[in-house]
Amino acid sequence: MKWLNFRISTLLLLTCPSFVSLKADDSLYQERVVKYHSFWNKLVPRHYKLQFAGSMGLLSFGPGWEYGKHHQWETDLYLGFLPKYSTSENKLTLTLKQNYIPWTNKPLGKHFAIDPLTVSLYVNSILGDEFWTKEPSKYPGGYYGFSTRIRFNLSVGQRFVYFIPNERRKYSKSVTFFYELGTSDLYVASAFNNRYLKLHDIIHLSLGLKMQVF
Amino acid sequence: MIETRKLLPFLLLFFTSCSAFDYSPYDGLVKGEIGINNKNSALIERNCSKRDTIRFAVISDTQRWYDDTQDFVRILNKRNDIDFVLHGGDISDFGVTKEFLWQRDILNELKMPYVVLLGNHDCLGGGKEVFTKVFGNPNFSFKAGHTKFICLNTNALEYDYSNPIPDFNFIDSQLDSLASSDDKTIFAMHARPYSDQFNNNVAKIFEKDICRFPNLQFCLSAHDHQIEADNLFGDGVMYYASANIAKRSYLVFTLYKKGYKYEVVEF
Repeated sequence: MKWLNFRISTLLLLTCPSFVSLKADDSLYQERVVKYHSFWNKLVPRHYKLQFAGSMGLLSFGPGWEYGKHHQWETDLYLGFLPKYSTSENKLTLTLKQNYIPWTNKPLGKHFAIDPLTVSLYVNSILGDEFWTKEPSKYPGGYYGFSTRIRFNLSVGQRFVYFIPNERRKYSKSVTFFYELGTSDLYVASAFNNRYLKLHDIIHLSLGLKMQVF
Repeated sequence: MIETRKLLPFLLLFFTSCSAFDYSPYDGLVKGEIGINNKNSALIERNCSKRDTIRFAVISDTQRWYDDTQDFVRILNKRNDIDFVLHGGDISDFGVTKEFLWQRDILNELKMPYVVLLGNHDCLGGGKEVFTKVFGNPNFSFKAGHTKFICLNTNALEYDYSNPIPDFNFIDSQLDSLASSDDKTIFAMHARPYSDQFNNNVAKIFEKDICRFPNLQFCLSAHDHQIEADNLFGDGVMYYASANIAKRSYLVFTLYKKGYKYEVVEF
C-alpha cells in the first residue's frame, strides 16, 4: 500500500506541477524532480543490439547501456528466439550480458573506428517446460547437480564502428558490426579432461549489430 | 592501434579454428546421421539370422568420457567375434544436443552395428527428443538369431503419469503368440527395478510380466556405474549391469543354442 501511495503521489506530482507549486518548499521540490528525471534518464537505453547465435538463441535483440570514463563498460539485456528444431517446442531465452571494452573507438579513417578487443560474460536463461533452475523436488538432493536453465558464457570479440555523418543521422549516431568467439559452461565441462574434444568443438562464432541511439 | 596489430593474429587463429555458430547447447539442432537404432537393428537381424551362437558386447554410461569411449571402440574393432554392441544408456550427461552427436560419431567408428538405450541423463533439457531423432524410439526391439531383445525405457523419474514407464502396452505388443520352442528373450533397460529411476510401485508386476516371455534368458541394465550380477527377485532371472565406461570394462555375452556365457572384459 505504501508503495502504491508513493506511486500515486509521484504521479500527481509529475502531472500537476501547478498543484504542488503552491507549497512553500517549491525549490526543494523542483530540485527533487530534476534529480528524479536525471535518475530515470540514466536508465534510457543508449543502444540496441541484434545478435545472431552465441549460445543464447538463433537471434536475440535488446537494449543496452554503456558507462565508465571511456564507455568501456556495457550491459545488455536480450530477448532471444530459439526455434524448436528436433525438440518439442520453440523457446525464448533471456540474456544479461556484461561487456568490457578496454580500448574504445580507436579511429580507423574518418568515419570508422575499431574496438580491438571485447570481453563478455553473460548469463542466459532458456524458457521452456523442460528446463529448471533448481532440481525439481522429485529428485533426491543433488541428483544432477546443475541447472538446465541457467547458462554462463564467456566470449571475446572485436567491433567495427561506422559513425553516421551528422546530416544523415536518423535514429542513431553510429552502427557497429561485431563478432565474438565464445563458449558455454557445459561445453567447457564436456571438454575438460578429454583429448577427443578440441577447442573448435566448443568455441563458436556469433555476429551482431549495434545501433547507438546516443 | 598497437593493440589491434597484436591481437589480430590471435583472434584470426580463433576465427579460423572455430567451426560453426551455436544457437544454444539445448538447441536440438541435429546434424549428421539419424535413426541409428532402426538401421542397426535391421543389420543385426540380417547378420545374425538363423544363427544359434551370437556374441555381443555391452557398454553403458559413456557420458562425457569421450576418450574412454573412443578407446573402447578401438579395442573392440580389433576383435572379430562380436556381432553387435548394446549401449545401456546415458550417452549424454547434460542432455546437451552436441553430446549425443559427439558420442554418435565415436560409436559410428565401430565396425559392427550398435544400438543405444535411453538413459536418465539423456532425458534432460529436451534430450529425449534429440535421442529419439538420432537413435530412435526409447522402446524398441530387434531379433538376433532366435533371441528377441526387448529394449525398454525405464527412466520413470524423468516422466510423469501421462507417459507410462515402463510401458506395459509396448511390452505386451512384443509377445509373439506364434513363438517356437527355439525362441528366447532378453530384456534390456537403463535403470533396473528398485533403482532410483525405476517405477518401483510396479517392480514386482514388471518382473511377473516379463517372465511371460518365451525362454527369458536374463536382463541387462546400466545406470549404477558398477558391474552387477544379481538374482534381483529371487526367481532365477539374472540382472546384469555394465559399469560406466570410465571404469574401462565391458561385458560380453555369448548366446548358445542352450544357455549363455557371461564375461567381464577390462581394457
